[in-house]
Amino acid sequence: MAQVATFLPTGLLDDVEPEVLSTEPHSGAEQPQSEGSVISSTNATTKSANALFAPNGLLSEMLDDDEEEETGKRDSGGKVSSFISNGLLSEDMDDDPVDNSQSARQSQIRMDFVQDPLRTASDPPTPSTETNIVSPTIFAPTGLLSDSIDDDADIQLPDAKPQKEQSQSQDDNLPSISDLLQPYRKDTEPSASASSSSYVPFGSISGTTHEGRPIYFRRKLKSKKINAVENRPRVSNLLETPIHRLRQQLAKIPTSLSSLSLGNESQSSSETQLWVDRYRPSRFSDLCGDERVHRETMNWLKEWDSCVFGKKRNNKAKKPFREEADSNFEYKDPFHRPREKILLLSGPAGFGKTTLAHVAAKQAGYDVMEINARRASDSRSGQVVDERIRPTLESGSAIGSKKPVCLVIDEIDGATGAGDNASSFVQKLVALTFEGPRKKTRGDAKGKGKRPLLRPIICICNDLYASSLTKLRQYARIIRFTRPSDIVLTKRLRWICENEGLKAESRALSTLIGIAKGDMRGCLNTLQFIRARKLEVTEAMVRSATVGMKEAESSFSTTLSSLFAPLAKKRVKELGIGEAEENRFVTRLSRDLEDSGSLDRLALGCFEHYTTLRHADATLERHEKGSEWLMTFDSFSGTMRSEREYGLLPYLSYLLVPFYPLFNERGAPKPERPKADWENLMKTRASEEIYKSMRGCLQSNAGQRFSGIRHLLANENLQLEFAPYINRIISPPLRPINSQVTKPKDRAILNRLVEIMVSLELRLVQDKAEDGQLVYLLDPPIDAFITYDSKRATDIPVARYATRHLIAGEIDAQIIQQQADAVEKASSSKKKFDMFSRNRKQKDGEDETGDPGSSPSRPGQPGNAKRKAAELDIADRPPVDFFGRPIESTAPKSKKLKGQDALVQKAYRVSFKYNEGNSAAVRKPLKMSSFI
Amino acid sequence: MTLWVDRYRPRTLDDLHYHRGLSERLKSLAASGDFPHMLFYGPSGAGKKTRISCTLRQLFGAGAEKLKIDQRVFLTPSKRKLDVNIVQSNYHIEITPSDVGIYDRVVIQDILKEIAQTQQVDLNAKQRFKVVIINEADSLSRDAQAALRRTMEKYMANMRIILCANSTSKLIAPIKSRCLLIRVAAPDSQEMEDCLMYVAKKEKFHLPSEAAQEIIQDSNGNLRKALLVLEALKMQSPDLTGPLTIAKPDWETYCHKVADMIVQEQTPGRVMEVRAKLYELLSHCIPATVILKTIAERVVERVDETIKPDIMHWAAFYEVRMRLGSKKIFHLEAWVIKVMSIYKHFVYSFDMEDF
Repeated sequence: MAQVATFLPTGLLDDVEPEVLSTEPHSGAEQPQSEGSVISSTNATTKSANALFAPNGLLSEMLDDDEEEETGKRDSGGKVSSFISNGLLSEDMDDDPVDNSQSARQSQIRMDFVQDPLRTASDPPTPSTETNIVSPTIFAPTGLLSDSIDDDADIQLPDAKPQKEQSQSQDDNLPSISDLLQPYRKDTEPSASASSSSYVPFGSISGTTHEGRPIYFRRKLKSKKINAVENRPRVSNLLETPIHRLRQQLAKIPTSLSSLSLGNESQSSSETQLWVDRYRPSRFSDLCGDERVHRETMNWLKEWDSCVFGKKRNNKAKKPFREEADSNFEYKDPFHRPREKILLLSGPAGFGKTTLAHVAAKQAGYDVMEINARRASDSRSGQVVDERIRPTLESGSAIGSKKPVCLVIDEIDGATGAGDNASSFVQKLVALTFEGPRKKTRGDAKGKGKRPLLRPIICICNDLYASSLTKLRQYARIIRFTRPSDIVLTKRLRWICENEGLKAESRALSTLIGIAKGDMRGCLNTLQFIRARKLEVTEAMVRSATVGMKEAESSFSTTLSSLFAPLAKKRVKELGIGEAEENRFVTRLSRDLEDSGSLDRLALGCFEHYTTLRHADATLERHEKGSEWLMTFDSFSGTMRSEREYGLLPYLSYLLVPFYPLFNERGAPKPERPKADWENLMKTRASEEIYKSMRGCLQSNAGQRFSGIRHLLANENLQLEFAPYINRIISPPLRPINSQVTKPKDRAILNRLVEIMVSLELRLVQDKAEDGQLVYLLDPPIDAFITYDSKRATDIPVARYATRHLIAGEIDAQIIQQQADAVEKASSSKKKFDMFSRNRKQKDGEDETGDPGSSPSRPGQPGNAKRKAAELDIADRPPVDFFGRPIESTAPKSKKLKGQDALVQKAYRVSFKYNEGNSAAVRKPLKMSSFI
Repeated sequence: MTLWVDRYRPRTLDDLHYHRGLSERLKSLAASGDFPHMLFYGPSGAGKKTRISCTLRQLFGAGAEKLKIDQRVFLTPSKRKLDVNIVQSNYHIEITPSDVGIYDRVVIQDILKEIAQTQQVDLNAKQRFKVVIINEADSLSRDAQAALRRTMEKYMANMRIILCANSTSKLIAPIKSRCLLIRVAAPDSQEMEDCLMYVAKKEKFHLPSEAAQEIIQDSNGNLRKALLVLEALKMQSPDLTGPLTIAKPDWETYCHKVADMIVQEQTPGRVMEVRAKLYELLSHCIPATVILKTIAERVVERVDETIKPDIMHWAAFYEVRMRLGSKKIFHLEAWVIKVMSIYKHFVYSFDMEDF
């Protein structure tokens, strides 16, 4: 506690320091000191986390100053430094005890400056409620203190403890780094607010010296306005300092600015932040990479200016007006937008797509609203458009912000959008861009229609050709990122390394970039990783740190070709592996294979490629081995799928590696994408479809006739026995002659054929061939099963057009007849007293016996058949018997179809079913006239 | 009206042409009122299904032949919908679970439960139980078979199960022990000739005995195939006299072509040609095991005695692997390469001995 007590008073002394400076600006003795504080006031912006040790810093400074006078204090100061455990302080003390203008020193002093108001606020005896004078007071006392230290070093203040608390609480209140990166004012604000609750000295400051003698400092009130943007006014305020000091300062400002712009300072030892974030460019000019890409993006954003900001695009001060203007726009002039309303940035990871989108949008005066499509797609993604994007875009700016909003959708290739689902994310997004003009025609009712898109949308993706982006690609302006030149990247990396105190060989850096293939994020992460352990980077370390890095990007085709060809010399060099390592392929290839993510396709690729290689393989030994491995792969993956044993997955990739030692060859033809298997699959699908329809035919047949044809349906029977033979059965050697004049033998065959085809529901369908000739095709096309290598079996005669025409005609006739029969059967079963029903059976008999002369008279025939027979017919008489009997007389049956008039007669027959109510009890015959 | 195969299919146990003893036994079983679960097994085309339907008729009368076809929808645990065609009469129901692949367990369970929980409603029915016929029982998955065994015991009062399979080896022992195993052997050539003659007689044409013999030889105990061949033959050349060429199924001819190619030349180029042919066969929905078997048999015919066992051994080996895996073509080709390699080695060593 005693230590604290001794330490804090000195801190308080510091507080008073600046006042002296301001009141006695010309005191030459204090010049080094004053310069320190001046710089602190200008550059205080950069420091943040170091605020913790601000008091010590000040203390140490003071100690340095008063080294000779206050040796006792020095001890205490040392203790304090260890107490707060600030490395910087002690270092500072050791390194430059005298020279106050050291830059390291300055940064510490800056921190004092931030701390100052609190101190001053806590100690004065005279309370004051004025809070807005804080910043002037900050300045004034500090100057005074240093003076007082020199003048009367004995000054000490009594109330130590509260002060300590204050300082701590203030530490908590310190602005974050990002705030500090902003111009100066932001920095001071938090401290002002922190002190607002406590006393603020107004007229004077009182204190107590070592001896307990109270002293008073008069303070000079200055209402100094701190400009948020510029540092210049600050400098001008300090014109009291000698001009050569100002020059020195000016010389320093640019350097500090350059570091500012990249959000870093060399002394920063904060390890909590990723370098990637710390060195993320915040200005357009800081972006490193392909200039052209950056400009294109910017141009596109600028095209929005006339829409978003109104026509006076350069005048940024008149934003309110612009907002108005653009709210009018949607009705007057919606076409001021660029043609493509969506920008699509695509490129590999780590090239700075997201950064570019943010930086460019900010530079163009937008607020960025970022949505991650991949995360959004976890939930029902399409809704995100409605719930979040549309409101934001319609209101034009984010809540609480005056800037217009620019929507950045990251990882859009992960969004849903494949297919034609209208509610998918991408579909909705595209729809959004079209809303404007279409709705406009409906009138200008503001509330009703959806408003047009008036804000730019930037989408970011890795894979431009993701299936989900198909729709978007047509409507977006696409900018592809290319790998930035290595020189630029190396330069930037070296600069960062210097900043971080990392010694880097440029060779190591370029190796790193080579391995990372230009991925800046990967490079930075690796460097930070190395920095965490050591202070220098060598090539070997880069190699060891990047094991496994970036291999994931290998595509399907590269992986496949890597299996069949040794590593390219260039890549070997890039990876920096020796001869021995190059030959050690198992780990490398298996990792490649695993990362490619499509092992099954790779296996197919291997399968299709390995036999095409022209190896001297007399006994096919290598092929045997290759196929062995493929088979093992297949049984593994098959088991994995069917038994859900996903523990086998890690082994799968190893099973394809052997193709490398077996078949690798430099300069061999590149393996192509496997397609034969896919084609085969398509063909199989087609065949399966035919089988299915054929089965359907058989099945409905089986259902109708109660027949046992179902036993043909069992899978293998159908393919192995039924399919080949049915084709032979239905293609007898018929000569194409008029059906009237055929020989009885042919006639029998024809009838049999027609019968079979009708019962199996096989049809001949007329179609036009490619050469315009008419052909009859089987439907379903079961002749596909006797067609191998697109050649028909030789023992089956080719059906000629005329023959098929004949058969088709017969089939149609048969079908018409059957339908007529069916209708009659239905009606006869209902109307038992109908006279037609009674001779229906007879008619069938007549049909079979084939007396064309009798058929016209049939409808008029009196129904004298036995009712019982009719009933038997309707009831469960097996139709097989029914059909079986007439067939026994095949020869006479053949004549039946000659009587075309009989068919005509049947076609005209009218039957009518009339049910009254829902019961079948009331039935009576009615005349047609009563309906017509 | 329809094909002879269908038209001359026996409808009752008395009509059956062969295995009379079996028919008698089935008849007495049906009459006894103590009808067990049954498992019909035997080669394809031997008449298992015919016997089953005859038994049904014996059990329930003609009503069992009044069939209707229902399309039923089943829901898998993962909410996938399965459409299954179910043939049923008032007394029995017939399902082919292999239509639904790996989800057969769901179908089996649902249907059996439903059937088992409802008693026979028709008071005139001859039996108090219903019958469930499961076709292609040897392609039932293990899960489905396990699901069967409990139900078979539990619902014995309301339901009997008739399984129909080509071989019993793929059925688990608990199922086999719960069934009465009935083997339907393939007819011998005399029985087949009788059947063919019967059909010829019914169709009123003369079938020369030589032609019948040739058909029988070709169809290899498969009566269904024999009848189909007969009908095809009759269509192609109505008089059935003179030298007959019995058409082999196209896929078989094609397989033989592949076998010949393998024997002729053994190079990577030939492997590619063979692969194309294999793809063609597969795309015609010919089962891979059948392809392998047919080709292997043909290859064995054409090579030297000494390497025949090797070839058959490897064919068996690769067939097992094929059943484990999913990409049939890998295994088929692996076997082709193996055969080529064996053949080449054989030829080389032969040459060496010569000199």
